[in-house]
Amino acid sequence: MQVRAEDIADLSLGAVFLATGGGGDPHVPELICREALETFGPVELLASDDLRDDAHIVTIGGVGAPTVSLEMLPSVDDAARTLEAYEKHIGRKVDAVVSFEIGGANSLIPIVAAAGRGVPVVDGDGMGRALPEAQMMTYAISGVCPSPAVAYDYAGNITTFTTPDTPTYERHIRSLAMASGGMITTAEHPMTGAELKPAIIPGTVSFSITLGRVLRENRGRADQLLPVLRDTFASSVYGECRLLYCGKVSDKATRIIGGYDIGEATLTPFADEGDALTINIKNEFLVARLAGRVVATVPDLIVIVDYETGAPINAERLRYGQRVAVFAVGCPDFFRTERSLAAVAPSAFGFDIPYVPLEQIDT
Amino acid sequence: MRIGIDVGGTHTDAVLLDGRDVAASTKALTTADVLTGITNALDTVIADAGVPQTDIEAVMIGTTQFTNAVVERRELSQVAAVRVGLPSGTGLPPMVDWPDDIADALGRHSYMVKGGSLYDGWPLAAMDDGQIDAAIADIAAKGLKNVAVSAVFSPMNAAPERAVAEKIRAAIPDARITCSYTMGRLGLMERENAALLNASLLAFADRVVDAFMEAIRVRGLTCPMYVSQNDGTLMNVDFVRQFPALTFSSGPTNSLRGACRLTGLTDAIVVDIGGTTSDIGVLEGGFPRESNVVISVGGVRTNFRMPDIMAVGLGGGSLVSADGSVIGPRSVGHRLVTESKVFGGDTLTATDLIVAAGHADIGDKSKLLNLNPVTVTTGNSTIHQMLDDAIDMMKPNADPVPVILVGGGAVLVSGDLKAASALHRPENAGVANAIGAAIAQIGGESERLVSYSTLPRDEAIKKVTDEATSRALEAGADAATIRVADIEETAIPYMDEGNTRVRVKVIGDIAALNAKETV
Repeated sequence: MQVRAEDIADLSLGAVFLATGGGGDPHVPELICREALETFGPVELLASDDLRDDAHIVTIGGVGAPTVSLEMLPSVDDAARTLEAYEKHIGRKVDAVVSFEIGGANSLIPIVAAAGRGVPVVDGDGMGRALPEAQMMTYAISGVCPSPAVAYDYAGNITTFTTPDTPTYERHIRSLAMASGGMITTAEHPMTGAELKPAIIPGTVSFSITLGRVLRENRGRADQLLPVLRDTFASSVYGECRLLYCGKVSDKATRIIGGYDIGEATLTPFADEGDALTINIKNEFLVARLAGRVVATVPDLIVIVDYETGAPINAERLRYGQRVAVFAVGCPDFFRTERSLAAVAPSAFGFDIPYVPLEQIDT
Repeated sequence: MRIGIDVGGTHTDAVLLDGRDVAASTKALTTADVLTGITNALDTVIADAGVPQTDIEAVMIGTTQFTNAVVERRELSQVAAVRVGLPSGTGLPPMVDWPDDIADALGRHSYMVKGGSLYDGWPLAAMDDGQIDAAIADIAAKGLKNVAVSAVFSPMNAAPERAVAEKIRAAIPDARITCSYTMGRLGLMERENAALLNASLLAFADRVVDAFMEAIRVRGLTCPMYVSQNDGTLMNVDFVRQFPALTFSSGPTNSLRGACRLTGLTDAIVVDIGGTTSDIGVLEGGFPRESNVVISVGGVRTNFRMPDIMAVGLGGGSLVSADGSVIGPRSVGHRLVTESKVFGGDTLTATDLIVAAGHADIGDKSKLLNLNPVTVTTGNSTIHQMLDDAIDMMKPNADPVPVILVGGGAVLVSGDLKAASALHRPENAGVANAIGAAIAQIGGESERLVSYSTLPRDEAIKKVTDEATSRALEAGADAATIRVADIEETAIPYMDEGNTRVRVKVIGDIAALNAKETV
């Protein structure tokens, strides 16, 4: 399978859905990705199972404050130059690149790098959604060492890392990003094919294209979208898809704390009678409660869409009065182990509630 | 006395205000040349009020001509786009995401040079004189006279844009230059787009202003003329010649400001119902609430300060489904007087519904005898439901808020709106936009990056307010009436604690007018 310039709008739309409220504005990354694919031609999308065990794969993406890139634009060749610098650093060519997270701009950067350097992209990612911290990536949870890693900034400054664990690496790369104008591109968490196969959420790039196409072709009311979405998620790594709620936003209050957009939204029924749904937000939608009863939590996906069109709405754009629908989707099985839940269960975000898988919660 | 004129796509409205009173008003179709419509409107209100020309102290014009020029790709000049920002943004030149037709209209003359700043003021790259000179030589060789200059983080450090603009001016003395820092907020591409659209309208602005002045002179008026801008304040003619793009969206703004004057309400929802859409806006403290999202003008993303308006496809000419459950967004528009049933046509429109229900007396009601009463009842409740839903979306919170109905289609609302704490239907609501133009004031704005750790907050805000005030005075505001309209403080992320961008807007009456009115 190939990723072509004309797939990018669908891929990006699907990625905004999977970003569960996070991920930022995809406009500029989409422009760059289309530009790269039009210049260099389509990119080969490789199923993770088809990787040789001794293949060398590196993850690639952007780290920092996405709002800075609205002013200091990325360059079309940043991703390819990052990969080139990484290959020079380790003294060999990579066999493929792979994404940190499918939700948001980081779903597109590996494709840009792959187009520029003529290597394949692995069909999959390290989150299957969007999550705020690097140690929540499946690669980190699986024990993959973050280095050797290379960061490349807007001016072509190159920094290399030899760092044993992901939290330390995360702290260092974030301060470097700030010194480099707020955003930096990195190649990190390198893996062999054998290491990658059990550590990846497979198939999410091709799935995101399919999901985006389904949303585009079935643009319309959320309740009519449900059966189509159910069918779409049924043949994926994700679990059950539920329509949790339809209603209007009756309150939304978030503020920036420690770089994160933290707060709560309340939804009430269109007819003003019935139970309210509250959603806790930390960049992404994390916990949904109906009349106080938990009906979905992270790492399962909670997605808010426009009620009339089914277009996903990210957390910073959510505001009073919008008519919305809330979907929940079971997360990939990878996150359902004890080891994974230590990193991504509600308790990892400071919520004192246990994780109950979506399909075990009464509707 | 002053005259307010609002030139819309369909109608040219005018009012003559004597103090707070509407002495005369007119609503006529906008003419193809715009100007005939304006002179006709002037003639009508002056004759109806029966006042001598010398009593007119000012004429205020709100116009959609510049918005329409962009939307229809007419009257646009070719522009050189110079961006200071390399090595960042390589491969994403100015106009990269524009629709082809408008990028072609501006000529696709893009230049990217090194320079600009990081978020913390650190230079992005040293500026390269040779590179800048080469770009300017190419602009000169192409004979381009309109230039837009943008730079990375210029709202926080305008020096790179100013330096390049000076070099251009030295090399091409008759060049007309729009710097992006004068146009918009953070968001390089959107701010640059605003500067490009403005630069492409400069030559047209001269023609429009000259024509306005001629129209006023021919009518024997010697008073000053002002043009309304999107924040509800006025520009004098010299300012319009430099910043024509600031007129974008002044129509809805004037309608909101007019509704405020007509009712005396400063906090309310205003619903302006026309032939095709209902435009819903929010008055906060007597001024329109501004939108905080990217706004597309003719397919180009910009970040102008524009009023937050929601357009719903519901107006007097909106098409109605056979059972009355679906109304709009398609409309017969100005063909209402020939195509709607009540005027003998075949198309069921929203106007037919209210006439059939006995809520308005328009056209010939006998043409509606065959209409199913269930359709009429359902249709009228659909109208109210659509407006209720839309008003609810625009409300800042769940608290009840008064609603002001203006525009020719206001008769569509026959019952209560659940979303409204009270419904107001002011007299002269049909010309609210012209009234809004006539009552507009002079504004002054200043923006600075300050550090509250070195300058206390109170002193910092006072300093920026003083600067805004002196700008308003320069523009002709009356010192005694100047008041702060808005203070915006934005903490800069990832910078040292206390670094804040402070923007202050002040507003005052026109000094020349106040002097006379108080005598």
